Amino acid sequence: MFSFTKEQKVFDISGTSIGGQPGMYPTVLFGGVFFKGEPDFDDAKRHIQTILDISKQTGTPTIPDFFIRKVEYIQPIISFIEKVLPRKYPFSIDIIEPSIKVETLELLTEKKLLSRTIYNSIHIGITKEEIEALQNNTPEMVIVVAFNPKNKSPDGKIEVLENGAHLTERGLLEIAHKLGIEKILVDTAALAPDENSGAAIAAIPVIKEEYGLPTGCAIHNVVEKSLWLNDFPLAKKTVDVASNNSIPLFGGDYAIFGPIENAELVIPLIAWQDILVSEYAENYFGVTPVASHPRRKLLK
Amino acid sequence: MKQKVKTSVIGSYPVCVDTLELIKDYFSERESSWTKYIEQAVRDMTTAEINFVSDGQTRDPFIQLFTRKLRGCRIRDRTEIVGHVEYNDPITVPDQKYARHLLPRNTGLIGILTGPYTLTKSSVDFFYHDEKELCFDFATALRNEAALLQKHVDLISIDEPFFSNELPEYAEELIGIITNGLSRPTRLHVCGDVSRIIPQLVEMPVDILSHEFKASPHLFDLFREYSCMKKMCVGAVRSDDVRVESIEEIVTHIKKAIDIFEENVVQIAPDCGQRLLPREIAFHKLQNLSAAGEIINGG
Repeated sequence: MFSFTKEQKVFDISGTSIGGQPGMYPTVLFGGVFFKGEPDFDDAKRHIQTILDISKQTGTPTIPDFFIRKVEYIQPIISFIEKVLPRKYPFSIDIIEPSIKVETLELLTEKKLLSRTIYNSIHIGITKEEIEALQNNTPEMVIVVAFNPKNKSPDGKIEVLENGAHLTERGLLEIAHKLGIEKILVDTAALAPDENSGAAIAAIPVIKEEYGLPTGCAIHNVVEKSLWLNDFPLAKKTVDVASNNSIPLFGGDYAIFGPIENAELVIPLIAWQDILVSEYAENYFGVTPVASHPRRKLLK
Repeated sequence: MKQKVKTSVIGSYPVCVDTLELIKDYFSERESSWTKYIEQAVRDMTTAEINFVSDGQTRDPFIQLFTRKLRGCRIRDRTEIVGHVEYNDPITVPDQKYARHLLPRNTGLIGILTGPYTLTKSSVDFFYHDEKELCFDFATALRNEAALLQKHVDLISIDEPFFSNELPEYAEELIGIITNGLSRPTRLHVCGDVSRIIPQLVEMPVDILSHEFKASPHLFDLFREYSCMKKMCVGAVRSDDVRVESIEEIVTHIKKAIDIFEENVVQIAPDCGQRLLPREIAFHKLQNLSAAGEIINGG
C-alpha cells in the first residue's frame, strides 16, 4: 500500500467520484450488462436493482456498463437506461463498432444523457467519423484503453497514451483532450497469460504516478483466458472474482469486473479490500476516507 | 561492356495499418498478427520486380524498430536510454525470415540495421552521459543482430543518416564493429548531403556505399574528385517527392552515375526509405526504377 507523489485527479460523474490517492475514495466497479445474446431486459433490471442495493449498503459505487453490439439494440438499450436507472445515476456504454458508437452518441445527445455517460472507449482503433461524433456529442467521461500491440509492458502503455505508438496520429490522451474531454479514466488493457498479463496491474501505479489520472482495468479477462483453470471450476469462479482485488491493492481506482451477475460477490470483496487499504493509508499517509467509503459505512 | 545493375530498396515501405482490426483482436482476446503488412510491402516490391527487397520495416519507424527491442531503452516521445544498451532477442530476424519465404527465386533480401550513431543521436540519454560509449554499445548490440541476420539475408545494409549531419571521428571503427567478419556483403546508406564527408565514406569498412544522388545530384561531381573504388548504390528516384520520375529520366540519371562510377554502379534504388510516400506512388516509383534498370542492363 502506498501513496503517489504526483497529485491525483478525482473526477465526478453524476455524484460518483473516481480517482485520488489510495484509501480516499472507494474503488468504483463496472458490471457488464448485455454482454452476450439478445438483451434480456427483465434479467438486467433485477441485477441493476441488486447493484443499487449492495452499493448503497457497502458504499462501493457500481456502474452498469452497457454493451451495445448491434444497431437495432441502440434504441431499446438507451430507453432501458432512461427508465430503469435512477434519474441521475451514471452509466457507461461499451461499444466496439465505430458506426454503432456514432449512432449511440447521437441518441444520447437527443435524450440529454451525455452528462451521465462514460464512453467506453477511446483506443487505437478510433476513426475520423468517431472523432467527429465525439466532437458533436461529447460525453462527460471517457475510458481510454492503453492497448499497444507493439509493446505490452507498462512502458508500451504509456507510449500509446503519449504518442499513439505511431498507430494513431496523436497520443490517445491528446485525442481526448482535443475533444474537450478532461475526465479521463485510463484502462491499462489486460492481456492473456503469456502476453504479459501482469503488466496491466503493474501499469496502474506507473500510469497514476505519471499522469495522476484515475486508472483501472478489466483484470478478470485474464482469468477467462487462463484455460488451465477450467479443470478447477469452483476455483475459477473464485479467482475471477478475487482477481479484481489486485486493482485497489496496486492503487487503482476502478475495476471492470465482468458480468453484472457477479456483483453480489465482487462488491463486498472490493469493499473489504478498500477497508484494508484505507486503514493503512490513513494511519501511515494520513489519507482520510470520504464519508461514503466502505470503511465509514461498514465499520461503525 | 554490358552493365549489370541490380534494383534495390533502401528499407522502409508504406503500409496502411488497420488499427481497428488490431483493437478488435484485443477485445476478442486474439493475438494480433503483423504478417499481412509484411506481405503487402514485399508483394509490392516483388511485383515491381525489384532485385533486392526488404521486409518493408513495417512495424515501426526505423529508430523505434530497434530501440523497442534493446535492453536499456524505453520509448516515450523519443527513445530514452535508461540503462546499459544490450542485445536481448532477435529484432528484425523473425520478419526477415517471414519475408524470405514470400520471395520468388532469384530475388535477394536485404537485412537492414539502423546504425549505432543514428540510434544514439535519436535518443535521449539519461544513463551514459557519454555519447561514444553509448554508440559503441549500440554497435555491439547491432553486431549480434547482424550475426543472426546474415543466415537469412543476402546483403546487410546499415542506415546512418546522421553521418551526413556530423561524422564522429570513430565512425569507421563503429561501422567495423558491425561489419567485420560478416559473411554477407555490406552496404552503408547515408542520405542527406554527404559532400563534406566523402573522403571518410570511401574508407568505410563496407562493400557498397548508398547515397541520395537524385535529391542531391551535385554529389556526382564531388565523388568524381575522389578515386572511389567502392561499389555504389545510386539513389535514382526521390523518396521525399510524390512526383513519379519517368523511366527516361531515371535512365538518364543512371547513365550519369555510370559515367562517373563505371562498373562500380551495382545497385540503383530510391534515395531513401519510402515510408512517407503514399503506397501507390512508392509502388509506381519502384516500377519505373525496375524498367529503367532493365534498359540500362540492355534488356
